[in-house]
Amino acid sequence: MTLVATQTRTQTIASRIEAWAKADPDRIAMREKDFGVWEEVTWAAYWDRAQDVAHALLALGIQPGDRVAVQSENRREWLYTDIATVAVRGTTVGLYPTNPAAEVRYLLSHSGARVVVAEDQEQADKALAVVDDCPELEWIVYVEPRGIRHRYDHPKLMAWQDLLKLGREHRASHPEAVAERMADAQPDDIMTLVYTSGTTGPPKGAMLSVSNVEFAISVLVDGGGFTSPKPSRNDILLSYLPLCHVAERIFTTWFNAGAGVQVNFAESIATVQPNLREIQPTILFGVPRIWEKILAGVQIKLASASLFKRANARLWLKVADRIGTVLVKTGGNHTLGTRILYGVGYLCFYRALRERIGMRKVRFAASGAAPIAPEVLKFFMGIGVPMHEVYGMTENTAVATANRPKRVKLGTVGEPQLNTELRIDEETGEIQTRHGGTFVGYYRDPEATAKAMTPDGWLRTGDIGEWVDGTHVRITDRAKDIIITAGGKNISPSEIENGLKASPYIKEAIVVGDRKSFLAALIGIELDTVGEWAQRRKLPYTTYRDLAEKPEVKALVQSIVDDVNARHAPVEQIRQFRMLPKELDHEDGELTATMKVKRSAIGTMFAELVDDIYG
Amino acid sequence: MIGRPLLHTDYAKDMALHNTFSKKLVFWLIVLAGLALPQILQDTELHLLSIGCIAAIGAIGLGLVTGYAGQVSLGHAFFLGVGAFTSAFVSGDPAGRVYGLGITNLVVWLPVAGLVAMLAGVIVAPLATRLRGLYLALVTLGLVFIGQHIFNEWAKMTGGGGVGRSAATLDLFGYSLSKADSIGTPEQKIFWLAFLLLLIFAIAARNLTRSGVGRAFTAIRDRDIAAGVIGVSLPKYKTIAFAISSFYAGCAGALLYALIGHIEPGAFSLVLSVEYIAMVLIGGPGTISGAIAGAFFITLLPRLTRDIQPLIPFISTAPDEMPNIYQVQTILYGVLIIGFLIFEPRGLVGIWFRIRSYWKNWPFSY
Repeated sequence: MTLVATQTRTQTIASRIEAWAKADPDRIAMREKDFGVWEEVTWAAYWDRAQDVAHALLALGIQPGDRVAVQSENRREWLYTDIATVAVRGTTVGLYPTNPAAEVRYLLSHSGARVVVAEDQEQADKALAVVDDCPELEWIVYVEPRGIRHRYDHPKLMAWQDLLKLGREHRASHPEAVAERMADAQPDDIMTLVYTSGTTGPPKGAMLSVSNVEFAISVLVDGGGFTSPKPSRNDILLSYLPLCHVAERIFTTWFNAGAGVQVNFAESIATVQPNLREIQPTILFGVPRIWEKILAGVQIKLASASLFKRANARLWLKVADRIGTVLVKTGGNHTLGTRILYGVGYLCFYRALRERIGMRKVRFAASGAAPIAPEVLKFFMGIGVPMHEVYGMTENTAVATANRPKRVKLGTVGEPQLNTELRIDEETGEIQTRHGGTFVGYYRDPEATAKAMTPDGWLRTGDIGEWVDGTHVRITDRAKDIIITAGGKNISPSEIENGLKASPYIKEAIVVGDRKSFLAALIGIELDTVGEWAQRRKLPYTTYRDLAEKPEVKALVQSIVDDVNARHAPVEQIRQFRMLPKELDHEDGELTATMKVKRSAIGTMFAELVDDIYG
Repeated sequence: MIGRPLLHTDYAKDMALHNTFSKKLVFWLIVLAGLALPQILQDTELHLLSIGCIAAIGAIGLGLVTGYAGQVSLGHAFFLGVGAFTSAFVSGDPAGRVYGLGITNLVVWLPVAGLVAMLAGVIVAPLATRLRGLYLALVTLGLVFIGQHIFNEWAKMTGGGGVGRSAATLDLFGYSLSKADSIGTPEQKIFWLAFLLLLIFAIAARNLTRSGVGRAFTAIRDRDIAAGVIGVSLPKYKTIAFAISSFYAGCAGALLYALIGHIEPGAFSLVLSVEYIAMVLIGGPGTISGAIAGAFFITLLPRLTRDIQPLIPFISTAPDEMPNIYQVQTILYGVLIIGFLIFEPRGLVGIWFRIRSYWKNWPFSY
């Protein structure tokens, strides 16, 4: 009888963790660095702790469909909470640790979360500040007691340790409660709410069901959609991007639950580079900002290396560029010539370079979540990191297209995934997808849900694209970002912007010029690299603004702009630019939590600069 | 997690004695070389190397207090002297001209020499807990003068100034190391003993420095006030540093003169202290391997200058001519100390560190 029950039970990520714990109890499931040592968690310990949390959630009265929010950096407790919530048929809601209190208020009240797991004092403070506006919020569980214990007194506050104790007590008195709840799981249970960052308007909560996620695992993990050959227990990855974003959730939680990939939690986003070097992952996913930053870091460090090392680097980077060019032409296949060149270069340069940037063992690197300049991808391909641009969005559980090994086409986002229907609307050029991963809808927002779907059930991605050679998809831009100049020309700003951002000196570039006679750009410099550049020229500066407004720096930016202009038709050229007077920031509302520029906000915040250009 | 040397999953591995494969390899290569050398080298060279091994033990001791704990001590000669005379006293003939107990076993007189020197160190330590830097250096300098006076005047113990007494005998449970037999010549056997003792003392010191005590030492060296604030007891750890350092010096003194055969009180002067300071500074303060490298370098330096003398004909070998080779040697110590302090403050091992980090940081410079 029980055997039948387990066989017909709906598979969820919780049941997958349980299966790993049974099959391979002593193998390492994840690691987290604590006081300089990577602490290891076995599958058995992982599932045991997740069960404790699940029982605690039951004890707190979490019913199927109830929301449990997490606002934390990537860490073990994030996964325990996620798995436990899914086990008791709840819905996990991820909040960015960088979300300011105002956004926390919106997210907690909109999602109606009953429990929020706050990482530390900072996050608990935010939750406490908005608790009165969130009538459904019953418990604020804090993980790090420092600064909270013995100092805060609020009836809704609970320590993580107390939550675990509660769970263990419940588990002792109702040992089968979680198993029973798991047995009732349905494929259309809403497993998670993923709030899209919302470059326009407030964030929208995309509902992903158990079947959506299982479909995504079958395509992206088992089907090798995001890592090919498909990931296995021997793979290792570093978890460092926000877990509330669908991309990191796939790579961390679903790769882990689906294929047994070992997850290592970076200490913070600031220590990604040293952590990469320690872990040497085999699979690496990054957003363009990360790849650009690593590239800029390599260039700075090489520029300040000693004479001989610099000459060596110059030689092998030139060779890498040649190898990269060939690989771009062949779709990622080495020719005999490049293989020999790379072999020699590996001994002299590439091996050490890849070791230093933590990519010595990377067998599949992926870039996604935002458009990236092809030059950046080519650099990584040239030094031997197999780089693949992939494409997807929250609303289709990130299942859309990906470049496959040996069939890479630079500048495209690759071929449609397995079991995925993808079409490009003939009138608007919009990319639309249809498959088992299409989301259930936006939470408490049927109007937006209706807008996101076509009448015949396809998801409107909002991205304009075109077919390349009939197999690969190239994305022009977000539909709403397309600039129409006064001359009536349709221009895609992101391509120009990425060209500019490929320079190590430029961090942000925002092309403006909608309904104007020419294009202009607002440019933000990369403080590290330009600062280093200025120091080498003995150029004193004080603040970001001071540095950005130096005539020498403007001349530097002008030369980069000229370079990019040379590659574009006259209407697509930047005639004028202005320097942004500050670094863009999430807290100030200029960036989304995923560090994407909020164009509308920039338009109003820096209206003076724009008016000055066209004045 | 093969091929990921930076991934530490527990503290024990991170703090291990040989925390990388290459360190382990080099260690065993050195051990092999030590075992093989007596079969290859001439007896005169072996004798010099044996003295180098023993001097290295003394230098490690000074390195612990000066290089690790940051307490400048010019009094090392005093502790060497205490060790030398104690061992001679323990193993000396009870019926002889000077005091003696007649226990000739090395296993007895070596630890006793170390312990008596250690006791002297503990008595001096309270001074160190109140003084630092230049003042401490001056006080320990005073120690050398007091020591010299006692060694010169206490003729019943030391044989008296200019005369001295014979040193401890190299005897292991009745087996004499200083007689040739089927195992080898005295020089071969003594080298093996010296090498073995150096290994023991060096590994013990290395273990000490990677323990909590060693971390307390470095904390005191880097900023004694900050160390005190984070809970490192300054009196306690300065006393420990002086005690261990003088134990090492006592053992080194005992062995050194057992190898030479005769102790003369005048030897324990400031010059000897400076020689040991030179070993630590030239070798590389704050490292065990540096102290060893420095000790061998300084011990082999006279031999080296003698070898290069023919190349520089205007330097004489006769002590009564100017300039002579002995003066050049003395000047060389000074020049080397100054040179290293200015150009390579991390000493001989610093040169190695420099090479290592050059390749470790490849293809970057940092």
